[in-house]
Amino acid sequence: MEPKTRARDGEAAAGPFPLPRGSRRSDFFKRAMLVGGAGIAGAMVAGSPRSTDAAQLSQPDLRALNLILMVEYTEGAFYAEAIRRNRLKGELLDYARAVEAQEKEHLQFVRTALGGRAEDEPSFDFGDKTGDPDAFAAAAGDLEDLAVAAYNGQGTNVSPETLAAAATIVSVEARHAAWIRSIVGEPPAPDALDTPQSSDEVLDGLQQAGLRR
Amino acid sequence: MQELSFDRLDVDGALGEAAERAGVMSRGTFLASALGGTAALLGVSTEPAAGQGASDVAILNFALTLEYLQSSFYTEAERMGMLRGRAAEAAKVVGAVERAHVKAFHDVLGSKADPRPSFDFQGTTENQNAFLKTAVAFEDLSVEAYKGQAPRLQGNAALAAALSIHSVEARHAAWMRYLFGVEPANRAFDQPRSKPQVTRVVNSTNFITSSPSTERKRMPSFTG
Repeated sequence: MEPKTRARDGEAAAGPFPLPRGSRRSDFFKRAMLVGGAGIAGAMVAGSPRSTDAAQLSQPDLRALNLILMVEYTEGAFYAEAIRRNRLKGELLDYARAVEAQEKEHLQFVRTALGGRAEDEPSFDFGDKTGDPDAFAAAAGDLEDLAVAAYNGQGTNVSPETLAAAATIVSVEARHAAWIRSIVGEPPAPDALDTPQSSDEVLDGLQQAGLRR
Repeated sequence: MQELSFDRLDVDGALGEAAERAGVMSRGTFLASALGGTAALLGVSTEPAAGQGASDVAILNFALTLEYLQSSFYTEAERMGMLRGRAAEAAKVVGAVERAHVKAFHDVLGSKADPRPSFDFQGTTENQNAFLKTAVAFEDLSVEAYKGQAPRLQGNAALAAALSIHSVEARHAAWMRYLFGVEPANRAFDQPRSKPQVTRVVNSTNFITSSPSTERKRMPSFTG
């Protein structure tokens, strides 16, 4: 069984900032924000990614961040290819351009937090999903929903510092999901809760959506 | 809209994984604690330290106040009947979701839930443009508030629930921005706001009035 970093009630989490037992999550968070020295918390506080202390990331943080990295690789490649193929127009093109730039920032952020422990980018075959506008819109919706589910699913697995950093990204992914649905006239927020998904579920979901080999 | 329940969080097993890793309770108990059941959330705490439960209760009541604000706003806008087209449809759908969030917090907090304040939305529920502008402001604020509070939650079930609501509020924010005609996602990173910052913004609207409402009589305060 992997050591957990997210504290069960009343337990100190083992993370980049080892603290005495009995410390509370809010104390970690406060400390992470103040010290801002390591890993992803440092990247967030500094406002620009730094990779200085990726080696200090705990196993659960590493696993979670590498899953998220896989999602961000997919998003980055998907939007970049859609723009390169140049078949989108109007609102869809505006969406793709804005989102592509933001996903690029997310990818850089997560990659930098992982430093040398980042997994390699896989190769993709998006087929017509980056060419045909309707297929693009449908795939973008699937992809953004999966990204939200992935971030939410890892929220309880990671250290408070990583959670705080990831939380700045997940809501942007949720905005993308609602934006693409608004453009095509589908319900942007059909549910009261966004269901979190496990790592396996996210990877299976990407495969089923034709976004992962 | 689907009914809000912890079953909706159970589809994938992510919470179950977390529960098993934590080794504290059965998957079912953990999920039951996530949302629903009277004071189930407090039951999650395996530590006798009452202070931690109190801290989560305060955070959840803060979130509840924001949900009261939003649900009352959309419900009133729908009732006024002055919205048109996609805005009217959005008010209806989002209002139902915000009411479900209120109910979920009530289920979790039980008698510790703060009562609903009374509101005066200053005419913003009677005019399409003012409605959308206000909706954008409150959805964006709600995202910032959840983001600021989530990492402070001590209980994993409360955290999972807060995160699942946080991203829904972000969807609402993007939806309302789209309808208002501003970019739904205008930056790569959404920053959090602290409770005092959020409270300051809410107070500046004068939407919360001090007079007791009829609802209050039906829901006595146990805040002590």
